[in-house]
Amino acid sequence: MLILLLIFLPMGLAPVGWLLGRRFKPRRDRFVIAVGFAELLLAVAAALRGGEAALPDVCVLGLTFVLDGFRRVYAVVFAFMWAMTLLFSPDYFAHHRRRNRYYFFQLLTLGATMGVFLAGDLYTAFVFFEIMSFTSFAWVIQEETDGAIRAAKTYLAVAVIGGLVALMGLFLLWHNLGTLTVSELYPAALAAGKRPALYTAGACVLFGFGAKAGMFPAHIWLPKAHPVAPAPASALLSGALTKTGVWGILAISCNLFRGDPAWGAVILTLGSVTMLLGAVLALFSTDLKRTLACSSMSQIGFILTGVGMMGLLGNENALAARGTLLHMVNHSVFKLVLFLCAGTVYRNLHRLDLNDIRGFGRGKPLLLVSFLLGSLGIGGVPLLNGYVSKTLLHEAIVEGAEHCGWPLTLAEWVFLVSGGLTVAYMSKLFVAVFVEKHPDRQAEFDAQKQYLSRPAALALGLSAAVIPALGLTATVSMDKIADLAVDFLHAGPLTHKVRYLSLENLKGAAISIAIGAAVYLLAVRRRMRKNGDYVNCWPKKLDLEELVYRPLLLKLLPAVFGWVSALFGENRITAPLCRGVLAAGRWIGRLFGENRLFEPAARSFFAVMRTLSHAASDSLDALVLVLRRTLLRQSPEPETDKVRRSAAYRMGTELDRLGLGRAPAGEGDRGRWVYRVVRTWRETGRLLRTTLSFGLLMLILGLAGGLIWLLWRL
Amino acid sequence: MTNILLVCAVVLPLLGGAMLPLAGKDRRVLRLTVLAVLILEAGVVTALLVRPDTELFLFAMTDTLTVSLRMDGVSRLFLAVAAYGFLITGVYAFAYLSHDGRESSFFSFYLLSLGALVGMDLAGNLITMYLFFELVTLLSMPLVLHDRTEDSIRAALKYLFYSVAGAFLALCAIFFLGKYCVTLDFRPGGTLDGAKAAGHETLLRAVIFLGVLGFGAKAGLYPLHGWLPSAHPVAPAPASAVLSGIIAKAGVLAVLRLIYFCVGPDFLAGTWVQYAWLGLALLTVFMGSMMAYREKVFKKRLAYSSVSQISYVLMGLFLLTPTGLTGGLLHVIFHACIKILLVMTVGSWIHNLGFHRVDELRAVGRAMPKTLWAFTLGALALVGIPPASGFVSKWYLAEGALGSGLPVYSWLAPVILLISALLTAGYLLPITVDGFFPGREARNVPARNGEGGPMMWGPPAVLAALAIGLGVFSAGLVRALSSLAATLF
Repeated sequence: MLILLLIFLPMGLAPVGWLLGRRFKPRRDRFVIAVGFAELLLAVAAALRGGEAALPDVCVLGLTFVLDGFRRVYAVVFAFMWAMTLLFSPDYFAHHRRRNRYYFFQLLTLGATMGVFLAGDLYTAFVFFEIMSFTSFAWVIQEETDGAIRAAKTYLAVAVIGGLVALMGLFLLWHNLGTLTVSELYPAALAAGKRPALYTAGACVLFGFGAKAGMFPAHIWLPKAHPVAPAPASALLSGALTKTGVWGILAISCNLFRGDPAWGAVILTLGSVTMLLGAVLALFSTDLKRTLACSSMSQIGFILTGVGMMGLLGNENALAARGTLLHMVNHSVFKLVLFLCAGTVYRNLHRLDLNDIRGFGRGKPLLLVSFLLGSLGIGGVPLLNGYVSKTLLHEAIVEGAEHCGWPLTLAEWVFLVSGGLTVAYMSKLFVAVFVEKHPDRQAEFDAQKQYLSRPAALALGLSAAVIPALGLTATVSMDKIADLAVDFLHAGPLTHKVRYLSLENLKGAAISIAIGAAVYLLAVRRRMRKNGDYVNCWPKKLDLEELVYRPLLLKLLPAVFGWVSALFGENRITAPLCRGVLAAGRWIGRLFGENRLFEPAARSFFAVMRTLSHAASDSLDALVLVLRRTLLRQSPEPETDKVRRSAAYRMGTELDRLGLGRAPAGEGDRGRWVYRVVRTWRETGRLLRTTLSFGLLMLILGLAGGLIWLLWRL
Repeated sequence: MTNILLVCAVVLPLLGGAMLPLAGKDRRVLRLTVLAVLILEAGVVTALLVRPDTELFLFAMTDTLTVSLRMDGVSRLFLAVAAYGFLITGVYAFAYLSHDGRESSFFSFYLLSLGALVGMDLAGNLITMYLFFELVTLLSMPLVLHDRTEDSIRAALKYLFYSVAGAFLALCAIFFLGKYCVTLDFRPGGTLDGAKAAGHETLLRAVIFLGVLGFGAKAGLYPLHGWLPSAHPVAPAPASAVLSGIIAKAGVLAVLRLIYFCVGPDFLAGTWVQYAWLGLALLTVFMGSMMAYREKVFKKRLAYSSVSQISYVLMGLFLLTPTGLTGGLLHVIFHACIKILLVMTVGSWIHNLGFHRVDELRAVGRAMPKTLWAFTLGALALVGIPPASGFVSKWYLAEGALGSGLPVYSWLAPVILLISALLTAGYLLPITVDGFFPGREARNVPARNGEGGPMMWGPPAVLAALAIGLGVFSAGLVRALSSLAATLF
């Protein structure tokens, strides 16, 4: 019951807080803080009792929850983180808008994150994992700046793709093993024996959960999304949500592939790349929160290295398991503290660029001490908790190097160098914020004494206090935590008690710190500053997301597959085909239906016949026509002058002058009647002369004349 | 009593629709009549749901052509979806069509379509089902050409021709089945006469293949899917909601009856027909999602989405395994619920804002938060984000595919399902993201009348709750449907 309350209480109260916040803002703030602390109390109570819970039939396969050692630890860690960030939030958000939705999703995500960790089977974990992905999306996009929107879209894309790939893994596991219960995976895998199928499934699950953890090559969202979220949310994204990804990886690495060296080697490789890449990115960054985000990625790499070593070391993996676990817890605490510090800076300056916030921390003891503890802790300085977990991980690698040779020696050096880089980039941040002075605004910074409200200061102080508390009592508290939690990892028995402060172990820390100091002094101070300003020398183009993923997923694949599906979707194949068939059919149909074959033949036959008969009947006319056009052509006659010269004309003119036969006005010559008579006569004669009959008459007369002449002559 | 109810369920909406023009011009009388018919119908259907299976012989056209009704698990499922779906969409339609001059004709054909659909759900043999199948086409076509624009008439004709062409393909299969089946009545496991069919298997399979393709036209199966993206953008939102949510499922029902109640899955399992069907279904799933992803007009986007999603169901049917069939049947309910919801929300944007394109929806969450919330929940459910309902059906579909033991398809099907889910996220979620988080500088959307009143945002809200709730509390439903699926093998 307590377990279910842990998950569903905050989820159920989220809408209450939202409704409350529509009217009464301060009351809503107090309410959510109360929920946070109630959750913390519940978590402690549940952790003391342990137990199991199940919701059969919910979501078909049913949800199961287990509260074993590891989950007890983490339930408390999460509840603590949420309580602290909620306590910090009202101050941070004092001048922000749209707080209501932030708190709403804050509580929803709390329940979902708890759900992932308390899940007894991968199915339950997946259900809450997906809920968590979407509710935390609202955190990333909360500020709604251009950067935030872009980063949030990347986050969403990675979450959706990761979720679906993980789901494919779950399909395969469920199909091949018939169970998804974490504790039953190992025997089921042994019994099933289908290694290739299981590796495929494992790779899918690894990708899905690894994406949330920020594992290379799915890390792209992390350095972008963490800095743009509000600081309390960044703390949780970095410190808590990435751990859910690690949880998934642990669940399959320590159960499905327990003691599998091949699997361990893959995780170790990916972990090492993540560790080094994150550290290098952090070193180059000049933005406070971005550095911390890249640092998160690097620290997840450390944790994954431990997971990998567990696989490689077989039964002697107790050190690796304890190191992995403790580093998870430690990293959660560090990131909580460091992001709250970053939040304090942002709350006052609304800036995060190192050049703008230089010197802000001077003369602010609480901020300084908190940040220093976080930095030293994460850098692995002895007497603090980070040192303990890193030492364990380092010892595990050294132990592995004895068995496996040079690849692990390489891994060890990657580990030490990454540790060194951690020291270097934390020094960079610390020196910039707390040691150096701002060229213009230093006096203004020094005057800001009221830089945090009391509750927020309490949250920061409490969080920071955990670091030395754990570190100084390492042999009691941290060993106890490790003992409690190690069951989940199914590690072998611990052969000897680790003496954290032995010379051997101090040497590793000393090497890392020395590397860090060298890198800081030689690279950061000399190369990464110009005229005293920090510059980001990381080539802008060298960005896996912009260079590969976005072009590939947004341009290339949609273009190719879009074209292919348009081929089908818009029926570009079938429609022309159908149209072709229809056209052919229509043509054939018409050929017969409209007598296309018969009719033209008949028509042309008739045409020919008609032409022939025309020709036959009209041949005489044609002859006449030809004659008229040639021999008997009418020739134009320039007649007017002849007419004017004729006697009749002259006579007519005289008669006109005497007033006889006056023509109507405008008729001119044609009006004269004599002229008209003459003209008609001539015309008639001419027409007569030019007719065929006249021609014939003349021809006959000619013939007759000829005949007579011939007769007379003969 | 059951028999009377059976006939009532078919006749009531048909009669109501036919008599509706008599209700006159008064809008209030009209609405009350429609609402009364819809509620009565839902009541009759509810009464039928709890009654035992039955068959009812109505009349015979000839010795072999008989018309009969049948009530079994499959008809219960589709009946419930149709009656409740039409009821809730009807309520939304009152609000959507409040400024429309042709309410009377719309609701007439709306009720008539429901009647035909119920008749199809309750059909007792292939002949009856075919009759009602054609009737559904003819009576729902006027819903598409409601606007009487040139585009809508052309789209309606396209819908008519595709459906009729499909029905003729199916009719061809019915002729053959009439010869080779013992009876055309529906019997779980099929009625194929082994002795008669011997020697003609290839011919029979080819004919059945074409028959399913024909019935698949209504379900938007490639290659006869083309009417969906044409008909949706021009139909009024309530019409396209029932078209893609419920009427398209008539195609699914026809395919289901043909495969599982006439031919029998044994005759088809493992043959080229099954592979070809699965290939077409997977092609449609992928193609529909991809086209939706590329489409900018959001009603058309939803139409392509339906093409893709209904082929999920068909894929489940074509797997010919109980698990796959369970997944398919689950998706019938879930998709109906989600798609009606999505079309309603999109309709609200068209109605209240006059928007038609996706890029206009930026900042719509400020003006219409309730609508966008409903849309978001529906979108998550359609993508299949647990614990929403789409996840449950996808789980069963994928398990059915993996467990089917078919070469290639057993792993290709889940992969395509997940890629399609990714594309679904790609074409739905950006609307939510841009709507709720438009950026600080984004201008507010001018909402003329807010969310359009509770009649407009209420139905989507109810459906959104269902889309999530059915996923969380689906165990009973899953049990019922898997025992139903088990009886068909």
